[in-house]
Amino acid sequence: MVTDTCVHPYPEGNTTLRRMALEAGELGFDSIVAPVPRESWHSCVRIIPSVIIDEPDVRKVSGRIRNLSKEGVLLMVNARENGFNRVVVNLKGVHILRHLHKTQKNSFDHIAARNAADRRVAIDIDLYPLIHSSGPTRQKILQRYRDIITLWSRYGFPLSLSSNAYSVLDLRSAEEIPLLCSLFGLEETDAREALGTVENLLTRAGPVRVLS
Amino acid sequence: MKPRPPTLRGKKRYILARIDPIGAGPEPREFYYIILDSLTRLFGDTVAAEVNMVLISCESGYAVIRCTRGFERQVRIALSVITNAGEQPIAVRSLTTSGTLLALKSRLARLPRHQGEDFGELSLSGSTYSARRYQGQKVDLVEKGIKSQELLFLTQDDLEEL
Repeated sequence: MVTDTCVHPYPEGNTTLRRMALEAGELGFDSIVAPVPRESWHSCVRIIPSVIIDEPDVRKVSGRIRNLSKEGVLLMVNARENGFNRVVVNLKGVHILRHLHKTQKNSFDHIAARNAADRRVAIDIDLYPLIHSSGPTRQKILQRYRDIITLWSRYGFPLSLSSNAYSVLDLRSAEEIPLLCSLFGLEETDAREALGTVENLLTRAGPVRVLS
Repeated sequence: MKPRPPTLRGKKRYILARIDPIGAGPEPREFYYIILDSLTRLFGDTVAAEVNMVLISCESGYAVIRCTRGFERQVRIALSVITNAGEQPIAVRSLTTSGTLLALKSRLARLPRHQGEDFGELSLSGSTYSARRYQGQKVDLVEKGIKSQELLFLTQDDLEEL
């Protein structure tokens, strides 16, 4: 299932959820993740509900996860400094660590990468700053993403790709995203695989349960 | 002057791209410089020179771009990072690549021509918008004003719920 891991419909952005789904379907997506309370379908595109936690303190993150964690909702946490990220990837219920490009270079190291791989927590690659910035800012983002790809190829944690679109004009097609990913060294086949990560995160294997 | 024989001519590729939002196509000359600027920013002057990009046509929301064979990927990436034409936000979506202009033009002829239909003005959260409806449920609202006209993208169902 080809999924855009994060879009921001109206009122955050200038596009309604229905229109976002309609355009995403035309651009080759089967599902989009949006900060909405429940799952829905529009224009044959599945809307996966999500919660984005943006807290500076790990205890607050943990508390919010306890309150919010429910099946079918994708939990995403905005990354911060190294200690924060190491703890967050070990928290039960976290699906995705995002916005690593906004943090310092050493905020996601080999230990955090190994923990993310063990706990099957995905690292999100946000294409919005890559598209909307230029010059030194874009160069720094490309460097950060190259670092992540190096760690990913060594430790194999899940990768997710998001357009972080606030408008239909920010969406990029399922064909264009692998091309953009080639800018920071992610192979086309790996990028296509990363577009299907969200489904695996939502259906990841839990502890063994006795059913009867 | 005797034309260069085909074996000595450079091989070309043609890229078909769509410009969104519908009806926001910039002037061909302006659009050429936008693509060239995007290409240069991403890959530098050396690659931009090798690409030898030419804007063949830019009309009805579609553009045909010619480049040197082997550089289609770079042009498509450069197109996908275009975000605005002057003040106007746009998105350029590369649709297909072809080895001949004829094949691309026949493909272009089969693509739908987006013809919008104006249906008056709407008032939303204190602002007045002019509404335009397109095929496939799409409705675009453009804020009425002199500066920084806000865009809103909806569907027909959203409009009925307003």
